[in-house]
Amino acid sequence: MAIRKIRELGDEILTKTCKPIKEITPRITELAEDMIETMYEFQGVGLAAPQVGILKRMVVIDVGDGPMVLINPEILESSGEQTGEEGCLSYPGKAGVVTRPNYVKAKAYDLDMQEYIIEGEELLARCICHELDHLDGHMYVELAGNTIHDVVYEEEE
Amino acid sequence: MTNSVNTREVILDCLLAVTKEQAFLHVVMRDVLAKYAYLDKRDRSFISRVCHGTMERMPELDGIINQFSKVSVRKMKPVIRLILRSALYQMLYMDSVPNSAAVNEAVKLASKRGFSGLKGFVNGVLRNIDRNLATISYPSRDHFIDYMEMRYSIFPWMTKLWLTSMSEEQVEAIGEAFLKEGPTCVRVMTDRITPQALMKQLVEQGITVATHETREDVLYLSSYDSLGAIKQFRDGLFYVQDPSSMEVATVIKPKAGEIGVDVCAAPGGKSIHAAMLLKEQEQQTDKKGRIYARDLTPMKLALIEENIARTGMDNITAEIKDARVLDEAMVEKADFVIADLPCSGLGVLRKKPDIKYRTSLDNVRELAQLQQEILAVVCQYVKPGGRLLYSTCTINRIENEENVETFLKEHSEFTRKAQQQLLPKDGKQDGFFYCLLEKGAK
Repeated sequence: MAIRKIRELGDEILTKTCKPIKEITPRITELAEDMIETMYEFQGVGLAAPQVGILKRMVVIDVGDGPMVLINPEILESSGEQTGEEGCLSYPGKAGVVTRPNYVKAKAYDLDMQEYIIEGEELLARCICHELDHLDGHMYVELAGNTIHDVVYEEEE
Repeated sequence: MTNSVNTREVILDCLLAVTKEQAFLHVVMRDVLAKYAYLDKRDRSFISRVCHGTMERMPELDGIINQFSKVSVRKMKPVIRLILRSALYQMLYMDSVPNSAAVNEAVKLASKRGFSGLKGFVNGVLRNIDRNLATISYPSRDHFIDYMEMRYSIFPWMTKLWLTSMSEEQVEAIGEAFLKEGPTCVRVMTDRITPQALMKQLVEQGITVATHETREDVLYLSSYDSLGAIKQFRDGLFYVQDPSSMEVATVIKPKAGEIGVDVCAAPGGKSIHAAMLLKEQEQQTDKKGRIYARDLTPMKLALIEENIARTGMDNITAEIKDARVLDEAMVEKADFVIADLPCSGLGVLRKKPDIKYRTSLDNVRELAQLQQEILAVVCQYVKPGGRLLYSTCTINRIENEENVETFLKEHSEFTRKAQQQLLPKDGKQDGFFYCLLEKGAK
């Protein structure tokens, strides 16, 4: 396992559309592990493959209930609304206010290529939307308008 | 994605810093509110209210949790017990938070901090309390010591200590006064602006301003965002100080040309007050007195210097000096010495509720020793005919009255001119003790 370099806003790769994953190879498994480790290292709650420079449709998420790997994820349903602060590991030291659905239902494949359904509210719903946007070359800054501001991140003990 | 600011997690981290790492609540709050200055005022006041309230009411909160939890608070993991305490505080004392929201947020936070397995426990205890709010039992007044602990969060050793010199009514009044929220009390720098003019300027900015019953130079401010945002504060037109602390310079009454030494001066409020009174006395004269404001560490010195700079008092010299070590050069040089010494702080529990977890009866006795030691050194700075003012921000005979008695026994050259133990008044004044001593002329 290794910590990968995070691409930051301005990097072309963050604007590109990612390709679906057709089969689970050892490289894909390694990528998933590295992404989880990288996410934890930088105290993120989610990370998408293009953020570490790989144009594949895979994201990892951990909002406090353990890590999840979402391969070729698709949002099936969403409802409600939440407005709140959002930040991104590809735009360190900043945050902005973004309105997202409060409930999201998505389908994805796991590392055994088994399809599963994931449902989430609040932070998890926000995180699914945020990470899936990365797979199509979008970042939250496009939605946050002029609410972007500086943030000092928590120093973890 | 990075996580957004979760106010309840910020609160938990603040409380952990205070309870586990022995950080000072007011320092933690100042740093955290500065760090999250971009949050809106509502979020910031929520953070400070819950942190302050949880620290203030912890003995009561623990008593209630213990009535409903099979595991006693003492045996819980620190994170879990702080989550329970702060959620319970919100349920009991904050009408703006629906109880269900306080419970849900507590459960989510427990799982976020790695205690998913205890989600059910946190949920169970809090819901159980929520369902039985009406049945929470408090000790009756007949069991006065337990009653003070559960009703007013005053620890038994404090109640016992106070009962040695006060009635139950007085002790209860103290407990009650500590729990009252109060406005910020400030002293107007009357050498630069009149209280009336300052009041007008502050009211124009939407700040609520009230006056003091007897002191004209005192204003009470409320409903402002942060002090630093008020131009008149940055310009040094007023100084945040409790009315009780103002008694020091008022009682000392500096006269034109006098030399004063403040031996434990940080953050410098009493020195600045005395320096201002000195200047007022010197207005029509060509005399130039001076105040020496001393403290132990460079950090404390920096605090004093910052306040001197803001208030523009050029007749104060701030210097690093250990009050326990005799400064030969100052012997019999001072017209007055201010000895506002380190103390147990039992008079300021309203503003610093975390003090009660740091101090104990043993600590009170140790402090009394330290105060004796310092007094024996600094009393030598007083000129014959000069004055020594001893003060503390605590309430107990050991550090106050008894200390003065011991001092007078050993230093017969001093006589007592005035002495008072001020008790806290509902949100308007702290507990404070002072004694003015005069050194006989040779």
